[in-house]
Amino acid sequence: MKFLCVPCDKPMRLLEATPPDRGSVSLVYSCDDCGYEMAMLTNPQETQVVTSLGVKIGADGESESKCPFTGMLSEMDPASDGIRWTAEAQERLSTVPEFVRPMARTGIEKYAKDNGYAEVDAKVLDAARSHFGM
Amino acid sequence: MKSYYDIAGDGGSRIIEQVGAMQAAIGERLAGVKHRLAIGSGKGGVGKSTLTRQLATALRQRGNACAILDADINGPTQARLSGLHDLPLLPGAEGVVLPKDANGVGVVSLGSWVPESEAVSFDSVSAGDSHTWRATREFTAVAELLGSIDWGQLDYLLFDLPPGAERTFQFAEFLGSTTSFLLVTVPSDLARGVVSRSVAALRETPNRVLGFVENMDGYWCDECHDVRPLFPRSDRIDLGIPKLGSVPFDPELAAACDRGELAVGKDRPWWAAVEKLALTVEETIESKPAESTE
Repeated sequence: MKFLCVPCDKPMRLLEATPPDRGSVSLVYSCDDCGYEMAMLTNPQETQVVTSLGVKIGADGESESKCPFTGMLSEMDPASDGIRWTAEAQERLSTVPEFVRPMARTGIEKYAKDNGYAEVDAKVLDAARSHFGM
Repeated sequence: MKSYYDIAGDGGSRIIEQVGAMQAAIGERLAGVKHRLAIGSGKGGVGKSTLTRQLATALRQRGNACAILDADINGPTQARLSGLHDLPLLPGAEGVVLPKDANGVGVVSLGSWVPESEAVSFDSVSAGDSHTWRATREFTAVAELLGSIDWGQLDYLLFDLPPGAERTFQFAEFLGSTTSFLLVTVPSDLARGVVSRSVAALRETPNRVLGFVENMDGYWCDECHDVRPLFPRSDRIDLGIPKLGSVPFDPELAAACDRGELAVGKDRPWWAAVEKLALTVEETIESKPAESTE
């Protein structure tokens, strides 16, 4: 979807995207030539259809949880208490698809807790890989 | 006034860019995959997943590096079939680690991470209208898995597809024209009728359909030591694609699948049939496409 400033016949530019509020996202566009601003307010269905593509709306758009198993996670052993992650381990975790990332985090933290680690770093991730025969 | 196509970029929403980045990631991840083979049917309950599992084992046994992506988001079974329960998702140095079964076949299945007592229900900001977005979200989930797993070098990546003739078509478009298809049916007009719809749907795509497999073509009887008929013989519906093999049903195999045991029953007729099928698949996929019928 693109927006055109009709008087200027110029494409408008996204200025701001607010985080979803009850499923609605507000996107503010402006025309660089005349400065005219307009806002597009999505309804929840529109927001959902777009986020189902696995994208975040807006350059720095916030997305709500995409994990389909949040209900299950809340029932799992809260292994994460006190487990820290190094920046490198966090970076690796970011390669896990967002919709299953909370499950990955929970599983790894459970492994760390069960094996006496207070911090998850690359070595712990590699040790878990060996432990599970992967 | 300018039209959509007169305007470069998307005005800053970056949606097209993000979708393109995901497609590029998939391309990079699958760069080491020689053959992409989707196992579908259209019909449910014909044994697609079991056959995919056994075919991967046979291809692996023939020296091929193999992996399976369980594309059935709602009814993933490859984890149980492979004995890969309760595995954590592990991010490695080069991407998410590909879990492997005891035979060395890679298996990616939501069933490894989600208990069978849990339904897959994606979070939504739009309650009550999942029919408008759910299929898109499921394909995105498959795309995200494809684009994040460290597949490495593979001779075969098998896609275990969900049922539905329309889904078979959608996966052809989603996976791209270089993905070949193998369809599974059972010897009944009921099943063949649905598979016939999938064949028709795939004709609208550039994808190659290698042929079909007749699964549950009789059953192995331990008492009479013979393969006995399971369905009334039916060849009335011509699928118009080559028949690459037929595999008998074996209660022992069914029990082994439930237990996730891989090294069971290889002295029985079903395994000989799967081995033969693997050879035929290898020969067919390496050959030039040809017009032929069963």
